[in-house]
Amino acid sequence: MVDIAQPLPRSPVAWRKVALAGASLAAIAVFLRVFDPTGIPAAQNFFLVFGSLLIEAVPFVLLGAVVSAAIEVFVPSSVFERLTALPRPLQLPGSALAGMAFPVCECGSVPVARRLATKGLAPSAAVTFMLAAPILNPIVLISTFIAYQGRDILWPMVLGRAGLGLVVAVAVGWVVANQSKDELITPRQSPDDHVHDEHGARATAFFSHLSSDFTFMGKYLVMGAAVAAAMQTFVPQSIIGGVAETPVVSLIAMMALAFLMSLCSESDAFVAASFVQFGIGAQLAFLVFGPMMDTKLTFLYRGTFSKRFFNAAIVTVTAVTLAGTLWIEVLLG
Amino acid sequence: MTLSPRRVATSVVMAAWAGLFWFLIASGRTSLYLSSRTDWVVPMGAVVLTVALAGRLGSLRTRGTEDVTTRDAIGLAAMVLPVVILLALPPASLTSFAAGRRSSFVGAGFVASAEDVATGDLSLTDVAGALRSEDAMNALAQRAGEDVTFVGFVNREPGMPADEFVLTRFLISCCVADALSVEIRVAGAPPGELKQDQWVRVEGKLYPLGREVIVDLTEVTKVSRPKQPYLSS
Repeated sequence: MVDIAQPLPRSPVAWRKVALAGASLAAIAVFLRVFDPTGIPAAQNFFLVFGSLLIEAVPFVLLGAVVSAAIEVFVPSSVFERLTALPRPLQLPGSALAGMAFPVCECGSVPVARRLATKGLAPSAAVTFMLAAPILNPIVLISTFIAYQGRDILWPMVLGRAGLGLVVAVAVGWVVANQSKDELITPRQSPDDHVHDEHGARATAFFSHLSSDFTFMGKYLVMGAAVAAAMQTFVPQSIIGGVAETPVVSLIAMMALAFLMSLCSESDAFVAASFVQFGIGAQLAFLVFGPMMDTKLTFLYRGTFSKRFFNAAIVTVTAVTLAGTLWIEVLLG
Repeated sequence: MTLSPRRVATSVVMAAWAGLFWFLIASGRTSLYLSSRTDWVVPMGAVVLTVALAGRLGSLRTRGTEDVTTRDAIGLAAMVLPVVILLALPPASLTSFAAGRRSSFVGAGFVASAEDVATGDLSLTDVAGALRSEDAMNALAQRAGEDVTFVGFVNREPGMPADEFVLTRFLISCCVADALSVEIRVAGAPPGELKQDQWVRVEGKLYPLGREVIVDLTEVTKVSRPKQPYLSS
């Protein structure tokens, strides 16, 4: 007797969706070849910035996914449970300083932080690491040094960036310290996440987690890069020049610009240094706020973390950066 | 064990990106997007993606069924879309459109030293960088009337005299997103002959005038876009 109640396999439907996506992409390729939009200067500018942001960021997201998969497969949970047992006054600054050993920009630290939290590290410590790593890593501090070399604000900029970056990252960790892993991280329903249990082979599990993390983060990166490229194309940098000498407003304007431009933390100091009309506080606001909160990161954070965490993070990063840079401006400006 | 559509689709995404990175290496187009300081990320990305793809291809089969939701399909297609765009569009570099929207190299704290300016061939960045240093400007003044040769594109700003243009080039630190414009005024150009964004090689005599430097043109030649269109810091 045939069991007619048995559900039909869903794969044919899945294959049709994959084929439809492929056909849509092929149609877009033909359209772009026939109606070359780069004849329009704004469109050409958009595609160049969009492409360059992705070409630079994708390898770092990939590296982040490699580290994340390695943590999942090769590092036992007990390691993170032991770290979580450390007293919090030690845990958060320690996590922030660990960022010094992870020399990638902000896109790579997001999948690593997610994985650290899912493996048992205190979620607050994981996000502190995520926010601090793009600022405290040696490559970023050296590039800041080079950008400000020969100027009298060289050391205030380098040390101010490192110090304030550390303070802001720890502040966010402290604010979200009472949130559990489930409250902080958006659950992800991907069959690849269970492959370890299914097959047991470590290499298979490693590559499955790697591809899963890469494709998960990648789509948010693409969306963020598109918005950032549109902002760079349609919002001229000179638009904020008029508020350069207005206290507080100049700090907020530079933070807003950093958010819109979505620059890599390894190069943003060169752009910040070009805003000579702005004071030290405003330039620091650009350099501390940008690597923690920008357009492309917003998409990555929203895909990875809960709305509650995102709201807490953006409010804390904004408030502490503003207060810290205002204090530095008063002290040294 | 059957082929998983989800795993095949993620393999296609990784193959697309790996293919793009190998294409950038083979075609030499990396320099249109990244500086020479950061272009190592492309071969690194190509190799790591290829290894990751090989690992993924080794586990395409699964015991159960793995559905691909419409949202999954859109997300995966969104990841391939940039690859399609970058491969389908003709190669290009930043133009005068971007010059009007970006900060200038001069404001970015790049300063040429008086020693660099005093001797040897003068580059576009030497001259632009001298504008922020009194010593460098004095050294440049000592070389007034000397012959210089620069390559850049024509940027004619509104209200400029018909025989003048701003020779422009971009300097990038990591990628095109952080580009800063490097500019020098050129006088004595044949009116109406040079179109906006035309790449040219200018030969002329250099004259520092107060806080500005002008090249008095002796010859201008139309050239194609250099293989490295951007200067690197």
